[in-house]
Parts: sequence; structure tokens; C-alpha cells
Amino acid sequence: MNYALAVHGAPYAGTAADHALGFAWALLAEGHRIERVFFFHDGVYQGLAGQVAPQEHFDTDLLKRWQQLARQGIELAICIASGIKRGVINETEQSRYELAHPSLAHGFELVGLGQLIAAINAADRYVEFPA
Amino acid sequence: MKRYLFIISRTPYGSTHALEQLEAAMVAAVFDGRVAILCRDQGVWNLQGNQDGAPQGQKTVSRVLAALPTYDIEELYVCADSLSSQQIQPDASLDIKPLTFVEQQSLIAASDVVITAQP
Repeated sequence: MNYALAVHGAPYAGTAADHALGFAWALLAEGHRIERVFFFHDGVYQGLAGQVAPQEHFDTDLLKRWQQLARQGIELAICIASGIKRGVINETEQSRYELAHPSLAHGFELVGLGQLIAAINAADRYVEFPA
Repeated sequence: MKRYLFIISRTPYGSTHALEQLEAAMVAAVFDGRVAILCRDQGVWNLQGNQDGAPQGQKTVSRVLAALPTYDIEELYVCADSLSSQQIQPDASLDIKPLTFVEQQSLIAASDVVITAQP
């Protein structure tokens, strides 16, 4: 089956990313497809560059794990409206708003909210990972 | 055409939950989805009359709700139990339908996608 996933929680603040990553890898292992992972609300912080995993999470570096997923060809899509107001910006938004530097981690992209709905429409199942 | 159900479960001005749920609902409607909205738990406060978001520098959520029919979102539901337990006086301009728990179960079961954005 084809799945659309949405992540609403910030890194290390709850179980959203851990559960979403575990679920995503399980889907791929079972031969399912992932249409897109959409990061919404505080979930956009998952794509913030420069995260340092806390020591008690030393073997669960979330950003690295997302980037591993991206290398499997999975699209990691950050809601642009949720992202820019929290400072998660790519080079385009950095120059548009004349900010000091981009902050979007490698492997992620900024997209419109329409991409969440498009992913849900294309998928057989939609699964949310709350904060 | 998919049937979407957006569940709003938090207060209107304590977080961005309600407005962001409504934004997503309007996008779903623009994508030709059939969209329903259910306010429950603390989310029933979004229906309260005499709201003004201006002091918070925000949109007035009840006005956004009242504008939903212009986006072809005609189904606005509220949990009858939450409505009475929180003693809400809904905005008179809103066309809302109270649902029992059993009716909410049926609504969820009849929807293809349920978006809770639970914080």
C-alpha cells in the first residue's frame, strides 16, 4: 500500500519522530510505499539544521535517521507556512526575507500545505504522529 | 473524492492548533475533498460567541468558521457532551450540528481521512 505520513512533534520533545521513523522503516521493509512525509506545526523543527542529539539519545540521532530515510528516495516535506514562522528556511526564503542564513537541513524541502492534501489523496492510508 | 474529517480539540487562542487545522481544511476543500469539521473537548471554545482575536493579534476563529461555507465546507459538527460540559454559548452565525458519541463514531467511520493534529 501507499502511505502518507505526517509528523507534528518537535525532535526530542516527544515520541513523534521516533514512532514515525520506526513506522516508515517498517513500511519499507514490508514492501509498502511512502508517498511523502509531511512535517507540520512543531514537526517542522525535525528539518532544522545544526541539531545536536542529547547524550541520552546518543544512538538515536533523529536528523541522521531522517536523512537516511531521504536517501531511500523518501520525500521529507516541510510545511512552508509552519516552517518560516519558526525559522526553518531554505536559501530562497532566506533571501526573500533578508535573513542571515538558511537553516533547512539537507534532505528536507519546503513545500505548501497543498502537498499534504495531495499526498493524502494519492495514498491509501494517512497516518499522523502527534507531538 | 475523499471525505475528510478535521477534529479541533484545543481552545481558539491558546495555540495555533485551531487556525492551522482550519487552513488545512480549506486546502482540502480546494482540492475537491468533501470536508467536515468536528469540534470537541476544549475545541468547543472555538464556537463561543463574541470572540475577538485582535488583542492577540490573531484572526477571530469564529469568523473563520462562519466563512467555511464559502469554501464549500458545510458540515460543522460539535460534540454534544463537550458543549454541555464546557457550557458554551455558540456564536449565532454558526450553523453547527451537535453529535452524540455514537454519531461521532459513525462520522469517523464514514470518513476516509481523519486529521486530528493532536498536540
